Amino acid sequence: MIQLQNISKEYKSKKGVVKAVDGINLSVKRGQIHGVIGYSGAGKSTLIRCVNLLERPTAGRVLIDNVDITTLPLHELRQTRQKIGMIFQHFNLLKTATVYNNIAVPLKLLGYNDAEVKSRVAKYAEIVGLTEKLDSYPNQLSGGQKQRVAIARALAQEPEILLSDEATSALDPETTEAILALLLKINRELGITILLITHEMNVIQKICDEVSVLESGKVVEFGTAIELFAKPQHPTTRKFLNTISQRNLSPSLIEQLNVSGSVIRLTFLGESTGKPLLAEVSKIYDVQPNILTANIIELKNGIVGNIVVHLHGESQLVQKALTYFTENGVAVEELGGASNE
Amino acid sequence: MNNIQSFFTDWSDVIIKAIIETFQMVGISLFFSILIGIPLGLLIVLTRPGQSFENKFLYQFFNLLINIVRSVPFIILLFFILPFTKLIVGTTIGVKGVIVPLVVYTAPYIARLMESALLEVDPGVVEAYTAMGIKRRQIIWHVLLREARPSIILGLTIATIGLIGATAMAGMVGAGGLGDLAYRYGHLRYEVDVMYATVFILIILVQSIQSIGNRFAAKLKKD
Repeated sequence: MIQLQNISKEYKSKKGVVKAVDGINLSVKRGQIHGVIGYSGAGKSTLIRCVNLLERPTAGRVLIDNVDITTLPLHELRQTRQKIGMIFQHFNLLKTATVYNNIAVPLKLLGYNDAEVKSRVAKYAEIVGLTEKLDSYPNQLSGGQKQRVAIARALAQEPEILLSDEATSALDPETTEAILALLLKINRELGITILLITHEMNVIQKICDEVSVLESGKVVEFGTAIELFAKPQHPTTRKFLNTISQRNLSPSLIEQLNVSGSVIRLTFLGESTGKPLLAEVSKIYDVQPNILTANIIELKNGIVGNIVVHLHGESQLVQKALTYFTENGVAVEELGGASNE
Repeated sequence: MNNIQSFFTDWSDVIIKAIIETFQMVGISLFFSILIGIPLGLLIVLTRPGQSFENKFLYQFFNLLINIVRSVPFIILLFFILPFTKLIVGTTIGVKGVIVPLVVYTAPYIARLMESALLEVDPGVVEAYTAMGIKRRQIIWHVLLREARPSIILGLTIATIGLIGATAMAGMVGAGGLGDLAYRYGHLRYEVDVMYATVFILIILVQSIQSIGNRFAAKLKKD
C-alpha cells in the first residue's frame, strides 16, 4: 500500500546540510497500523510528510499502490492526496467555521454536490461521535473533540490511507485512549491503512501491528509490535520500552544478587503467559525464585509478560531451570555477570 | 440656545458640504485602496520565502516599493506625485485630484495590514488543506482569506481612520472636506466654533467606524 524506498531529505542550514531523513525504507501493508516511534528530532515528522509530499524527499521513491507519486504532475498528485487523509498534533481546523463546515468545506472544494456533502458530514460526524456538536465552533470544543472533528474531516473524503502526525501528543492520557480506540475502530470497520508517528510507547502498544524505531533519520529497528516488545534489540527501543514498564535494575543490585544465584529476565509470549512455570521450576529443580519486577503488556495482537527474577540455588540447578524455561517457550536473558563460576 | 440655533443656520450648509466631501474622498479612495491593497498584501505573503508561490524577486521588489511609498508623509506625497496624478485623472485639484495621492498613500498601508493579518493564519490549516489535495487557489480563498477575515476587517478599520486623517490635507489641492473646513475657518479666520464642531464630528465619525469594525471582527472571529 505504502512503500518508501531509500527516502532521504536534506535541509540546507547555516551550519551546512542537515539530513533529517537518511535513506529510509519502509512499507506498510494494506489494512495495517504501522507506527513510527522516535524522539523529537529523529525525523519522524519529515518522514510522514514525505508520504503525501508535503515535503519533497531529496532522494528516493514514494510508492502508493505501486505508483511512484514523486514523478506525478500536480493534478494527479492532488488526486492521490485525496486518497490519503491526514490528522495532526494541533488539529489544524478552521477557527472561523463550525464543526459542520470544517467537515463540509473540503468536500465542497473537491466538487461533491450538496446532497453528498450533507450525507457524508452526517455519516462521519456520527462515526466520531460528534453529531451533537455540528453547530459548535472549534474554540468551544475540548482537545479530544477537536481531534475528532479532524478525523471526521479526513474520513469524509473516504481515504484508503490515514496519516497521523502525533495525533494524540497534545491530549491528556484519558483522551488519548479514546482517540486511539477511535483509530482502531476506523482501521477495523472501514479498513483504512494507518501510518502514524509518535513518541509515546503506549500508542504503539495499543494499536500498532508493526513498528519502526527511528533515530537520527534512520530506521534502527523494525518488527511486529510483539517482536519489539518481547525482544527489543536496539538500545533506543529498550529505552522506549522502559517508559511504559520498569525493565532495568541498577547494576549494583544485580551484582549483589548474582553472588548467590543469578538474575534473569523471562519474557513470556502468547501461550506461555498462562503457565505457572515459576512454581513448577521451584518444585522440580529446588531453586527459589524471587520476583524482582514483573509486568504484563497487552498489545493489539497479543500479550507480552516480563518477569525479572532472582533464582537462588546451585548454579547447576539454575542452569537446568533456565533450559526448562526455554523449552516451554519463554525467552531467557541473564542480566549482569550471569553465572558465578 | 439661540447661539446654537444661529450657529446652525449660519454654518450648516458649509459643514454638510464638508461632510459630503470627506465621505466622497474616503469612500472612493478606500474602494481603490482595497482593490490594490488586498491583492498586494496577498502577493507579498504568497511570494515570501517558504510560501506556496515563493519568488524572491517579486517579494523583494514589492516589499521595497511599499516601504518607499510609506516613507513619504502624505503632505509631501500629495505634491511629489502631481505629474502622476495629472496623468491618471487629468487634473491635480478638487476631490478628483486628491483621490490618486490618497490611494497611493493608503494602498501600501492596507497591503502591510493585510500582510500581518494573513501571516497570523495558522500555516497548519493550509498544510491540512494541501494534504487533502485541494487547489492552491481555493486554499487562498477558502482558508487564508477566510481565516484572516477578522484581522482584515480590523486592519481596514485602521486604514479608514488613517485615510480620514489624510483627507484633512486635501484642502491643499482644493478638495475641501472636514479637515480643510476646520483649518480654513477655524484656524485662519478665528471661527473657533467651527473648529470645535468639526473636531466633534470627526470624533463621532472615527468612534463609529472603530466600533462597527470591532463588532464585525468579533462576530467573525468565533473565539
